[in-house]
Amino acid sequence: MESSLHQVWESAVGDAFVPTVGKGSQFLLGFTLLTVGLLLSGLFGLNRSIINIGAIGLPASLAIAFGAIYMICAVGVYV
Amino acid sequence: MRLLAVGAAVFSFASTALCAEKGNLTKPLASRLILPSTFKPAQNFKNVNLVHIINLEKSYPKEQINVVIENIASTSQDEYFIPFTSQQMATIGGLEVKDKKNPDGGLFEAGAVEFDPESDTQFYRVRLEQPLAPKAQQTLGITFSYLSALHPLPKNIGQQETQFLVYEFSAYCPSAYVTLKQKTEVKFPSGNVPEYTIVAGGDAESPQKAGSKFTYGSFGEVPAGAFEPVKVRYEFTKPLIHVSRLERDIEVSHWGGNLAFEERYTLHNHAANLTKQFDRVQWASQQYYNPPSTAIKELKFPLKVGSLDPYFTDVIGNVSTSRFRSNKREANLEIKPRYPVFGGWNYPFRVGWNADLKKFLRKLKTGQGYVLNVPFLEGPKQSEGMVYEHIELRVILPEGAVNVKYSTTVPLVSEEISLHRTFMDTTGRTALTLTAINIVDDFRDRELIVTYDYPLLAGLRKPLVIFATIFGLFVATWAIGSIDVGIKGKK
Repeated sequence: MESSLHQVWESAVGDAFVPTVGKGSQFLLGFTLLTVGLLLSGLFGLNRSIINIGAIGLPASLAIAFGAIYMICAVGVYV
Repeated sequence: MRLLAVGAAVFSFASTALCAEKGNLTKPLASRLILPSTFKPAQNFKNVNLVHIINLEKSYPKEQINVVIENIASTSQDEYFIPFTSQQMATIGGLEVKDKKNPDGGLFEAGAVEFDPESDTQFYRVRLEQPLAPKAQQTLGITFSYLSALHPLPKNIGQQETQFLVYEFSAYCPSAYVTLKQKTEVKFPSGNVPEYTIVAGGDAESPQKAGSKFTYGSFGEVPAGAFEPVKVRYEFTKPLIHVSRLERDIEVSHWGGNLAFEERYTLHNHAANLTKQFDRVQWASQQYYNPPSTAIKELKFPLKVGSLDPYFTDVIGNVSTSRFRSNKREANLEIKPRYPVFGGWNYPFRVGWNADLKKFLRKLKTGQGYVLNVPFLEGPKQSEGMVYEHIELRVILPEGAVNVKYSTTVPLVSEEISLHRTFMDTTGRTALTLTAINIVDDFRDRELIVTYDYPLLAGLRKPLVIFATIFGLFVATWAIGSIDVGIKGKK
């Protein structure tokens, strides 16, 4: 007894979904990225200029964005 | 003070009305085909040989009808009707029909038809896979179960007493067609059957007893709609576990590589009530001997291997009387309710666990499609069986998932695709809600397959939103910082 999409499931054998970052490394990555983001934010605070928005603010925002996602996953709220 | 009392009365009336509406969901949800009120199944078939097996070994009656049908019309026919009373219609669950000679073949399309809501006889219509030629024969295997069809007699027993259940059925299998030869077999959980109806007619005196199996018949030619009431009363000192509502959530997280399950049960025990107050001392003193009891003492959930982080809570909070055995071969969650649940008692609770997504999700070769395969039902596996009156299964897909399709062999009454908003969502996650009614635990291992498309940009929505927020903060800091708020004049 098979449902109609069973063939689709069977045809995708060997293509199991693998997350970009495994559950074991989520905390380390999230913590590192958030720390980097925080340090860069501090650095930006020392010299607020329009050039530093691109040079420091941009990487800091990216680090905080991905760091926050992984940190939230690491503590058990799987977004 | 008086105003408060009036307000409370109005509120309680409103909540009663709301609850009553909720409790009546069983009927309106069943999708039915409407036929004219003069409808009567055409006598296109006859049942050449019929064996009706009633299995009472679990806490619900499970019936199987194996019938050889013959087309007696002059043209090919593909519609076979099975009659039920309106009471049976409200509690019947999981009716499935297949070709007995071809067990690997699919299930036949079967659905309830409605022609006159006032009539006591209602029908299920089975559409044969291929029309049956005149004078040709086919063997059908029809299986179904009834919920709330067993009643304890006496209705109240002592804490350590034996329970007896009553079940009523017809010695002639209900059919819309003439039946040439038939017999009804009843399988009891034990040989202790103190009361049963004796039926005249047939080859010998009915029933014939063989251990815990009784056989009524065989009977000769019986007209359509013939009914011969039979009542049996048998020993069954086990709980009658009834779940009036199960809400099961399955949440997919691509970022976390996780599949989160949560099940919320509204559990009742329909066994005989206690004659007097529950005696904790008597209960505790007998537990060492583990006597048969009508109380629910433990529920065992055999989960998929690799399940982790289980929890078991009820209205008070965490319940510590649970065990989780997890290794390479099994992952068993064994929970003990806060108190033994006797007949007439209720126990609402919730359980949940996580699992690695890679065992349940596969990437499709074409485009950005994914296919998810999860069990439809993962409830407790009890030797006495259990029934679910209303199941609401919600598959919460990642935010931005589109083109959702699903398939399952569990009979459903409704489906809905909606948005579910929770942590860090901007638009909300795509949620597929499936509703099934009157399901028994035999459906436990049925799979649910969901396919969906998840574009890369939708996947990056969450970090992009945080990125935009933080970056906006940097720009705002710079902009506000560069405003000159000094009080000295310009030089």
